[in-house]
Amino acid sequence: MITTSLKRVGMLTIAGLLVAAPLTFFVAGAGAQGRVVYQTTRKNAGTPNSTNVTTNSSGVVISYGNSAITYNAPSPKLASLGQALFLQNCASCHGTEANGVPANGTSGAFPNLVGLGPATIDFWIESGRMPAADPRVVQAKRRPPRLTSKQAVAIAAWVNSLAPSYPDIPTPNLKNANVSDGAALFALNCAACHTIEGDGDALAQGTYAPSLRNIPAYQVVEAIRTGPGNMPRFTGNLSDFQVRDIVKYVTTEIQHPQNIGGLGLGGLGPVAEGFVGLLLGVGILALVGFWVGERQ
Amino acid sequence: MSSEVINTKRAKQAATGPYGKVGHALNELDDRLGVAKGGRTFLDKIFPDHWSFMLGEIALYSFVVLLATGVFLTLYYIPSTALTTYHGSYLPLDGQRVTEAYASSVNLSFAVRAGLLMRQMHHWACDIFIGAIVVHMARVFFTGAFRKPRELNWTIGTTLMILAIVNGFLGYSLPDDLVSGTGIRIAYSIILSIPVVGSYLGFLVFGGNFPGTMVIPRFFILHVLIVPALILGLVGAHLFLLVRQKHTQFPGKGRTENNVVGTPMFPVFMAKTTGFLLVVAGVTALLGAFAQINPIWQFGPYEASRISYAVQPDWYMGFLDGALRIWPSWSFHSFGYTIPLEVTVPAVILPGILFNIAYVWPAFERKFTKDFAMHNLLDRPSNRPKRTAAGVAVLSLLSMLFIASSTDVIANFFHLPLNQVLWGMRILVILSPFVAYPVTWKICQELRVVEGGGKRKTTNVVTRTAQGEYVATAAPAYVDDVHAELEASEVPTFIVDETDEQGSAGTRTVDR
Repeated sequence: MITTSLKRVGMLTIAGLLVAAPLTFFVAGAGAQGRVVYQTTRKNAGTPNSTNVTTNSSGVVISYGNSAITYNAPSPKLASLGQALFLQNCASCHGTEANGVPANGTSGAFPNLVGLGPATIDFWIESGRMPAADPRVVQAKRRPPRLTSKQAVAIAAWVNSLAPSYPDIPTPNLKNANVSDGAALFALNCAACHTIEGDGDALAQGTYAPSLRNIPAYQVVEAIRTGPGNMPRFTGNLSDFQVRDIVKYVTTEIQHPQNIGGLGLGGLGPVAEGFVGLLLGVGILALVGFWVGERQ
Repeated sequence: MSSEVINTKRAKQAATGPYGKVGHALNELDDRLGVAKGGRTFLDKIFPDHWSFMLGEIALYSFVVLLATGVFLTLYYIPSTALTTYHGSYLPLDGQRVTEAYASSVNLSFAVRAGLLMRQMHHWACDIFIGAIVVHMARVFFTGAFRKPRELNWTIGTTLMILAIVNGFLGYSLPDDLVSGTGIRIAYSIILSIPVVGSYLGFLVFGGNFPGTMVIPRFFILHVLIVPALILGLVGAHLFLLVRQKHTQFPGKGRTENNVVGTPMFPVFMAKTTGFLLVVAGVTALLGAFAQINPIWQFGPYEASRISYAVQPDWYMGFLDGALRIWPSWSFHSFGYTIPLEVTVPAVILPGILFNIAYVWPAFERKFTKDFAMHNLLDRPSNRPKRTAAGVAVLSLLSMLFIASSTDVIANFFHLPLNQVLWGMRILVILSPFVAYPVTWKICQELRVVEGGGKRKTTNVVTRTAQGEYVATAAPAYVDDVHAELEASEVPTFIVDETDEQGSAGTRTVDR
């Protein structure tokens, strides 16, 4: 009796921790609820405050942005398809209202998606993190997306129709990007978690900064502008032009590093170098010594 | 008069004497400098053939590679923290404000012919140098080669290891890239954490607060002149003592405390060791050519406001970094002072204790075993279970600290929570010596009683008879297990006596 109840308490504690952990990472996202316009301190920070705003006949923003990044709103025509897909793939956790309250009513266990903006929804689905393979994990893993790009946009369109918000889905234009500025900004803003070589690394309590080696350019913008999971949301301190420079650096030098010195050794830095130096360097030389020396 | 004495070819030949031109030149040299006696001692220096005696040579020859490649690097490196705008061939840095030190390091990698090869060889040679020192030191420790009369050489060797680690760190810092700058920052904090004198010492070393402008020029002159000069001098002393005291040797047929069995310096060992020098240089060159190390252009220049995650020091600083990582954040603030125990204990006191254990071990063992005798024959490690177990315990502690310096990489690679890895390493670091000691001790005890233990095993030859029967017979001992000449042979001591020049080039035994 006592042992079973103890067990139950233990299980509950573990379950509570598992549920609470992801929750804490979505608090920032949930805080955006209720605000219709995504507030920033700088004009060009992923909102229609920038100059080139295109609206349709009824005054709804279709796209905005500048020569560096264009943000496109998902077409409202996709909303009905989006709702169907949402009910099929997302509602079991996020609820039929996308407010984070599933059917069984455990309020607060899952993030509220209302008012997060199309880019957030698009990023989580197109990076394959959602629908989650295991909703209990601390941090959803990047994997091949389960929904197509169009389906992701459709879901974003429906969620956005509940409470229109920003940023919209970005398309960076890397043509005039300055890779050197991007490198400096990357070292200042990104390397502290993603490492200077973009490999990503473990952070506290089961979270981690993912590797940037295989991420399309628009998703890098989405991540910077929306701050998924543990990542800070870079809005006021990075202009669209600076974000474009970072994206250029990530998609060129980070994803295709100039390893002119030979094998890149996995970009792991001194750990791999130490192994090679000791096992290959000292190891081979000791073997040569063994070969030329006497063994008895 | 004079013409009939000199001006014929025959007369010139006669003047060169019976030893040819080289011999004549050497004679002339000996007449003036008296090199014959010392030279003879040197050329007749006996080197035991056991392969483990080559480990120290890896260190010696990688040091030679370090000196050669290092000289090349100093020709292009600019030890200055003055700011400049980079306009080199690596475009992602174009137009950035960087220090002269960083710009010149990148330029020598990209724009100087063979510059990157030299830089990478230098770095690989450093990793190999310190690795070989550690392995060599382990060989000396576990075989008891540090015992009387060689305690002084053990002390010199330990000092060499510390100097090599220090110089490795200094050199690693010179490119002034993001990763090494972080390392200097940590070093500055470690100096600050030294009680009472820390802040004064920090200002003394850095010429002011971190990062300042003095650190690169100072580290440069330490790295290329002062520490290498110390290392070179101590290597000289190390080798002088080695020749003076003669090598140790493993016990074996014909080997006693009073002789040395092995090959003489000239010609056998000289050929072998020169070849080995070339192999060390060759392996270093291969690594430098094919394996990238420390790609500073990808790291970018150091700025105090920038930091990269997943930064580890080079492997030889790993134990220090690991200790810093796993130590709990215990610090005290009282009477207006901060006592940063979380830095002082793992980064100052712990290495202090470890290095001091190395220094005092010979005296400690003498006192403990009351063994004050001269030892020229080496121990089989399993015959000294306590020493071997103690050595393995310290090595396992160091290994665990070393592994702890990559907690983040382990956590990321194996998809484990970082905090669990950290706690796991804390437990392993404390536990490992206490597990390693008894396990090693027990294994040694077992090995001591194994029949034929420590002896090279001969194969069994299995033959099938015409009737289909299989018969196994032990093969005879290896030819090279049996030494042809184990009686002490006469060693020539005077160059003039031609009849003594019959010394065999093979294995030779001389009295001490």
